[in-house]
Amino acid sequence: MTESFSSKKRTETLSGMIWKRFWKHPGAVGGSIVLGALVLAVLLAGLSPYDPQKSDLGSRFEPPSWAHPMGTDALGRDLLTRVLYGGRISLLVGFSVVIIALLIGVPVGAVAGYFGGWVDNLLMRIPDTALALPSLLVLILLAAILRELDAPLLEKNPVLTIAGVIGILSWMFVARLVRATYLSIREMDFVTAGRTLGASDFRIIVRHILPNAIGPIIVENTLEIGYAILEESGLSFLGFGIQPPTPSWGNLLSNAQEHMTKHPWMAIFPGIMIFLAVISINYIGDGLRDAFDPYKVMTKSE
Amino acid sequence: MSFKKSQWGTLATAILVGGLFLSGCAPRAATAVPESGAGITAAPEVEEPEGATAGESQVVIVIPEDPPNFNASLSDTGYDALVMELVMLGLADLDPEGNIFPELAAELPTVENGGVITDEENGTMDVTWNLRPDITWSDGTPVSSDDVIFTYEALIDPELGSWTQGIDYVDGIEKVDVDTFIVHYNTIYPGYLYQFGGEQMAIWPAHYCDAAQGFSQWECAQKPLSNGPYLLEEWIVGDHLTFVRNPNYYEKGKPVIDKIIVRIVPDSSVRKTMLINGDADLDMWTTEGMLHDLKDEPNVEISTSPNNRWVMRLFLNLAARGTTDPAATPHPILSDVRVRKAIRMAINVEELSKEIFLGYSKPIWTEFFREPYICNIPQPKYDPEAAKALLEEAGWSDQDGDGVRECHGCQAASEGDLMEMELITYAEYGELLELTQQLIGEMLGEIGMKLNLTIMEGSVMWATSAEGGIEQTGNFDINLWDDGFFGNNPTDFLWELYHSASAEPDMGWNVGRWINPEFDTLLEQSYTLDETVRKDLFCQMATILDEEVPVILLFSAVNAEAHSARLQGVQSTINDLVTWNAADWTLK
Amino acid sequence: MGQYVIRRLLQAVPLLLLVSILLFILVNIAPGGPLAGRGQTKHIRPEQAEILKRQYGLDKPLAVRYVFWLIGNDWTKVDNDGDGVAESYGQSKGILRGDFGTSYRTRRPVLETIGDYLPNTIYLMTITLIIVALLAIPVGVISAVKQYSIFDITVTTLSFMGQAIPEFWLGLILILVFYAWLKNPFTGGPLLPAGGMYTIGAPFSVWDWGKHLILPVVMGSVGWVTWYSRFLRSSMLDVIHQDYIRTARAKGLTEKRTLFIHALRNALLPLVTIFALDLPYIVAGSLYVEIIFSWPGMGRLYYQAAMDRDYPLLMAILIIGTAVVILSNLLADIVYAILDPRIHYD
Repeated sequence: MTESFSSKKRTETLSGMIWKRFWKHPGAVGGSIVLGALVLAVLLAGLSPYDPQKSDLGSRFEPPSWAHPMGTDALGRDLLTRVLYGGRISLLVGFSVVIIALLIGVPVGAVAGYFGGWVDNLLMRIPDTALALPSLLVLILLAAILRELDAPLLEKNPVLTIAGVIGILSWMFVARLVRATYLSIREMDFVTAGRTLGASDFRIIVRHILPNAIGPIIVENTLEIGYAILEESGLSFLGFGIQPPTPSWGNLLSNAQEHMTKHPWMAIFPGIMIFLAVISINYIGDGLRDAFDPYKVMTKSE
Repeated sequence: MSFKKSQWGTLATAILVGGLFLSGCAPRAATAVPESGAGITAAPEVEEPEGATAGESQVVIVIPEDPPNFNASLSDTGYDALVMELVMLGLADLDPEGNIFPELAAELPTVENGGVITDEENGTMDVTWNLRPDITWSDGTPVSSDDVIFTYEALIDPELGSWTQGIDYVDGIEKVDVDTFIVHYNTIYPGYLYQFGGEQMAIWPAHYCDAAQGFSQWECAQKPLSNGPYLLEEWIVGDHLTFVRNPNYYEKGKPVIDKIIVRIVPDSSVRKTMLINGDADLDMWTTEGMLHDLKDEPNVEISTSPNNRWVMRLFLNLAARGTTDPAATPHPILSDVRVRKAIRMAINVEELSKEIFLGYSKPIWTEFFREPYICNIPQPKYDPEAAKALLEEAGWSDQDGDGVRECHGCQAASEGDLMEMELITYAEYGELLELTQQLIGEMLGEIGMKLNLTIMEGSVMWATSAEGGIEQTGNFDINLWDDGFFGNNPTDFLWELYHSASAEPDMGWNVGRWINPEFDTLLEQSYTLDETVRKDLFCQMATILDEEVPVILLFSAVNAEAHSARLQGVQSTINDLVTWNAADWTLK
Repeated sequence: MGQYVIRRLLQAVPLLLLVSILLFILVNIAPGGPLAGRGQTKHIRPEQAEILKRQYGLDKPLAVRYVFWLIGNDWTKVDNDGDGVAESYGQSKGILRGDFGTSYRTRRPVLETIGDYLPNTIYLMTITLIIVALLAIPVGVISAVKQYSIFDITVTTLSFMGQAIPEFWLGLILILVFYAWLKNPFTGGPLLPAGGMYTIGAPFSVWDWGKHLILPVVMGSVGWVTWYSRFLRSSMLDVIHQDYIRTARAKGLTEKRTLFIHALRNALLPLVTIFALDLPYIVAGSLYVEIIFSWPGMGRLYYQAAMDRDYPLLMAILIIGTAVVILSNLLADIVYAILDPRIHYD
């Protein structure tokens, strides 16, 4: 297999194919557009004429109007502004969870899968142990602990704290997936060839195998963003999410619970945001899975 | 192939059968009820789906979590006191106005009727109580002085006992006869009348509770033997408690309602909907937001306490963070009384109570705001401009123009230090307190103080110093929570909050470490039964507190209960739980 | 096979120990403590705090506490009366001998408390899982077989929608719609009850219990149905494209037979594994469902224990949860081995 040495070209064509397939998936296209719009809106939150935290007691609980397209909240703050700023936090939590899960899961899985043997045995005990924990129970416990912890990095950084709590309980799946992929790829010819040519283990792990293993990792972790956003809202409901006055979709929604009957807009808009974000992420994940799926080609050829 | 298929089929069947089997087992969760001989009404056979037999009256109280047990002396949850009031009696209890009325006692002992004999010379006092002869436990045993002595001795047991306010002032209880006993005090204790009653304590049956298990752990706190208006019929843990009327209750013709069900409904919006739909008759400690939503509902009425007890307040730490000695390590910002006064002036209390607390509260600025002790302290003015001037005077000014003041010649901080602090409140109170915290943060921001807001669990805020409780270890700047006293004797409460002895870690809640010898002396002198002297002393204390501002009082939190319109006689009270007069409730 | 199971069970022992140490540390370093706060009185004296600490065994170093928790302290002398001298044997037997201690909050044995809540959770979750399986399997199969059909697209959209609603919010909406808004046309009362397991005081009836199950089961199963049917759809798609299915087709077997006998069997294999891995929920319950529908289950018990820092109760639930997770993993492997003739464990 000579193409293993020019693997760059190979991945290019492969990724080109995936790219093309992805954009033929209607759900994925729709999802990407919606998510793109959400991200853009959230990034432009600063253009709002209102301050997300400054109260205006004269205009509490105002229903949606031209001045306040989503109405106002219990302190008279413009809900649209808060929803946009809250989106920053929620999406940031979502992406951070994935980054944390990848940062822990990929190295552990890659090293275990590549070296195998006792390294594999030893390293994979960690995710095995972590997977043996009852996850929601530990999630609550960790949220309580980390929230009050005066650790230098976590203090005053609620996003990182929440993302850390969720991420620390989801990296194991990444590790297992990566390990399985590495186990199967490491025996392939181009890896053996790389080894005989004297490439270092590190180089093989990072430069040769990783590009080939990245597909399933991306697919699985796209969905994780959506889960993380939902999990943050669940934690908010329990009082362990992002703390007000910093808005997040989760705490906006759970705080609206009390006002559901009289001021329903306070619940509807953050709810719609979570809904749109998660559903578009799911469609993107679906599209990616199909795009990476080799059988898809066969289906078409049939 | 077919072999495999059948195995899959077996598995599915197994799951199904297992599920059915388990579902059949599910209702097995009752805690047994004491086998209390005569007097208990047999569990009625119920036909109607709504849970009440024809002609049987029933009300449903909804609370968010299980009571730990029936002994309210052990914890602060309030749910234990709620159910304790249904089944247990004390020597005396308090009505909503703060008047004391006898329960187990035949009459209230006073100096006038000879029940109280004070020894001014030695500063001691003896109180003689007579019990009503006609009250029995639900197994027929009469309530006697032995029960009182048994309860007291179990309570003070160093190993398995507990602690209640004022119990340290009791030297011992002496039995005179089966209905009479004398309580010996080592001081003159003004709160003697409801010390063995009220919301915090009940008398326990000596012949039923196991002294060896101890006051804090005995099983009779889970399966109480009743002498109150109701008997516990069943307790399905986590789901509900059913109480049936005690036919031998000492007040003839009471209680009126046959059955009280206390249901555990954790989610507040579900409780609200159940009230509106008529599936719940009473919500305990209804929050302001919920009252606001319920006040126009035709099926729901609201009972508000005639007095206020809980006052939302800011606890200011006068010692540097993490220390407990304000003299050696003063707080860089809050140790200056001018700063404390400026904070008080910068908070628009009227707005907070009207807007956020929806008019269910009113501004409070002194501990002595209700009968029988009202002191004439002028209401502090909301004046942010004056607050700014006071801060300038105290050496805090914003010279770099970033909106936050720095120390320029201030009292305790280093030159150039930012006027930045943390404002903490507790999570359990809910949204309104969080909104209040945000508004206070903004209001203080207006006068150039930067406040970082934190919300934490009460169990972390109020933990003991060994557990790292942030108040007991002094690890805070400003804390926001509500406190207040029940009844009509403020001495114990004032001691806990302001006496220098309570500034020691774990000794009380003078967590701002405010030390004032003059106040200490006045407070010590107020342990007397002479009402004129007490009134005068309390108002002197009020003046000192107003000048020194160790704690900033803001406004009263509402004490109210929402109940169904058909349930009559509910009277919310600050001095007890709403079930205090359950025997008088009727259905329309 | 038997040997394999025994080996796996033996391997589980050190894993369980390791996890228990981890959890014990986590539980104990959580800020706050059991002595003050919600469960205990706010007004606690230092002397009393000392006594409680000694009674709870919290005066010992963490390592000693762990050992006592694990194997009890009836083999060694401890200081029972607080005079600083260890004079009598302890009374705790430790969890290895089935003594999980006494709850700080209720002062009742932990196992008794768990025994009150566990059946309620098993009841709800078993029914939920059965409903999930009954819905997810046909939906997953049909959307795979008819890939990109109207059915597939509709189901996909619906399931993505179901998954995009936060669980607690779904529950609140269900209550609003089926309890507050919709009325029973015959009685005029709410269509469905707001929560609880049955009508209090009413005699047992399947109808009454069933009525109380509907909303909690709907709330609990939406996410799962989605996840299982999506999973089954993709594993079914995998299988359909395998060579042996093509062979079967080529051999002229009917389409139905091919799909439902050959393909489904193989596609179900991974689903059974996933199903077994979800079994711990039968014990742990779903906290959000239990809170919103006032269901007295394990999730709420755990949550309250966590808020109260009720260490013995907290540890008991966590360790039982962990054991169930490990056993479910084993079960997943065994079931897989039984169903898949290609796999042999030795």
